[in-house]
Amino acid sequence: MSAIFKYEIEGPEAEPPTVTERALITLEGITKTYDSGENEVLALRGIETRIEAGQFVSIIGPSGSGKSTLMHILGCLDSPSEGRYWLDGEDVATLTSRELARIRNRKIGFVFQTFNLLPRATLLKNVELPMLYAGIGRDERQERSMKALERVGLEKRYKNRPNELSGGQRQRVAIARALVNNPSLILADEPTGNLDTKTGSEIIAIFEELSHAGQTIILVTHDPAIAAKTERRIRIVDGVIESES
Amino acid sequence: MIIFESIIDGIRDIRDHFGRTMLQLVGIILGAASIVATFSLSVAGKAASMEFYRISGGIEKMWVFDKPTGKVTLNAKALASKGLTYSDALAVRREAKEIDLVAPMASQNALVHYGNVEKTREISGVTPEYAPLTDFHAGTGRFLTDSDVSGAARVVVLGSERATEFFGTDNPLGKTLTIADTGYNVVGVMEEKYFSFDNKRNALRWMNRQIYIPVTTMITRRGETLGQGKIERMQTRMKSVKRSDEAVGEVSRILMRQHGVKDYEVMSRVANLRRNEQNNKMYDMTFMVCGIISLLVGGIVVMNIQLASFNERVREVGTRKAVGASPAQIFFQFLSESVLVSLLGGFMGLFIGRLFTMGITSLINQQTIITMGTLVNAMLFAAGTGLIFGMYPAIRASRLDPIVALRTE
Repeated sequence: MSAIFKYEIEGPEAEPPTVTERALITLEGITKTYDSGENEVLALRGIETRIEAGQFVSIIGPSGSGKSTLMHILGCLDSPSEGRYWLDGEDVATLTSRELARIRNRKIGFVFQTFNLLPRATLLKNVELPMLYAGIGRDERQERSMKALERVGLEKRYKNRPNELSGGQRQRVAIARALVNNPSLILADEPTGNLDTKTGSEIIAIFEELSHAGQTIILVTHDPAIAAKTERRIRIVDGVIESES
Repeated sequence: MIIFESIIDGIRDIRDHFGRTMLQLVGIILGAASIVATFSLSVAGKAASMEFYRISGGIEKMWVFDKPTGKVTLNAKALASKGLTYSDALAVRREAKEIDLVAPMASQNALVHYGNVEKTREISGVTPEYAPLTDFHAGTGRFLTDSDVSGAARVVVLGSERATEFFGTDNPLGKTLTIADTGYNVVGVMEEKYFSFDNKRNALRWMNRQIYIPVTTMITRRGETLGQGKIERMQTRMKSVKRSDEAVGEVSRILMRQHGVKDYEVMSRVANLRRNEQNNKMYDMTFMVCGIISLLVGGIVVMNIQLASFNERVREVGTRKAVGASPAQIFFQFLSESVLVSLLGGFMGLFIGRLFTMGITSLINQQTIITMGTLVNAMLFAAGTGLIFGMYPAIRASRLDPIVALRTE
């Protein structure tokens, strides 16, 4: 049986391996330009950084700063115009859309502001989705999906559909879906943006718990209070890293 | 695995959008139904003519008719030609190697009389070969024999309707029928011949209205010599359908030598059949085009609705792509939906098509035959429509940029 979480055996008290020989993510001179007719728009201008495996990082910045573009590139939804992006030892900056799909499937788990669950599918089917595209058999899919739902405390609701859940519950399902393929990286884009403060804190608590278990998490937010809960903050302004803390 | 899941997803989608799917289906259903209906008509038509040919002497049958030439400048031999004669028939019978049966036929109207029934009827002078050639045999008594012909005997065989006409319920066998003031001994009554294209009219009723005497008797009674005896036509049978052109050629050559001018016409059922097949192909094509046009319309509806459904599901596509669906997987998911819908439509179309054929049969009394091939064809065309018209929406979905898709409200 494959383990669902990489560092499960170490338990929550174990020190996460914050520094390793090679960083999980290395960005070298990441530039993104959008060619909108006459004027070129520089969305990212030479982003350089390293994110180690197991880190809980937030990317903050005002709207229009380029943080969304950076998140798209980190999530392999988009490719940089220039520069190199090493993810888990692989240069993904030059991959084709099909290869990017494979990387997203195997190495990245997404959590979106708007949850993006399939409205007509049950929770179980929703969580199974990444494994479906990974070509994993039905029995294993169900077993792993149930474990992931258990992890976010929704295993009893597996037959429900997303519209029967509250916003916080939906986001928990999305987290289960993000976890289910044992990704190297969880990428959360304003995960509390559509939730009230109390529910938002609960979701952040889940991320903290995952982080303690050794999961690498990058969280994009504009909320300083949420950013304060992460161990490292990268502030983007005008397409460059303005500060790190 | 993915294929199977896509199909399951497709089925779920059909169920979730039942009304929309039904709309999508209408065109496909009608297209498939019209293919079923038209094919079953055409198949039944072909089967009926084949059956007609079989029951009336097979496709090996050939005819030779008189066909007076319009030419003014003729040589002596051509001028002397009397048209088709009994000796032509004997020559063909003697010499033609591709022919196994020759049945000359002379006919004439005459006053026929028995008891108090007196009528002018057509009399046919034939030979024994006539029976196997037309697959028409004596029901009671016997048909004409070779010795009847060689002796120019005064015997007569009646079609079933004629037997009733002159003899009523009496047994005509052994009775004497008067034809043109000469007594003929009734030696046989033919079986009743029946064939119908529409279950109403007997297409072979004319055969039951025949009166047969030996051809030699007719010629000599007319006061002609046997060699110069005029005959109206000659039916012959080729040995092999595969060599039909050779058989026609051979008979033509013999007659040309006899007449010196082409004042006759040789026809074969094979040639007729070829011509019919040509016509049938044209009908089939017309039918097919109608069916295909319905399917085209259906296909456009499928495409439209798939596009609408795609626009509705842009976020879903984005989500699927974000969690790792490759363009090919998305393409296949959308394509399998439209193929499934079309297959469902095709399947329903089979039943609607069956209703169509039942309607045709009861309205215009036209036979219809639904074959497995027709059903398979209709399904294939329906699935093909889904495949072709599902292509464009599927390509659009597969090429969707996930970032744009996820941003869409």
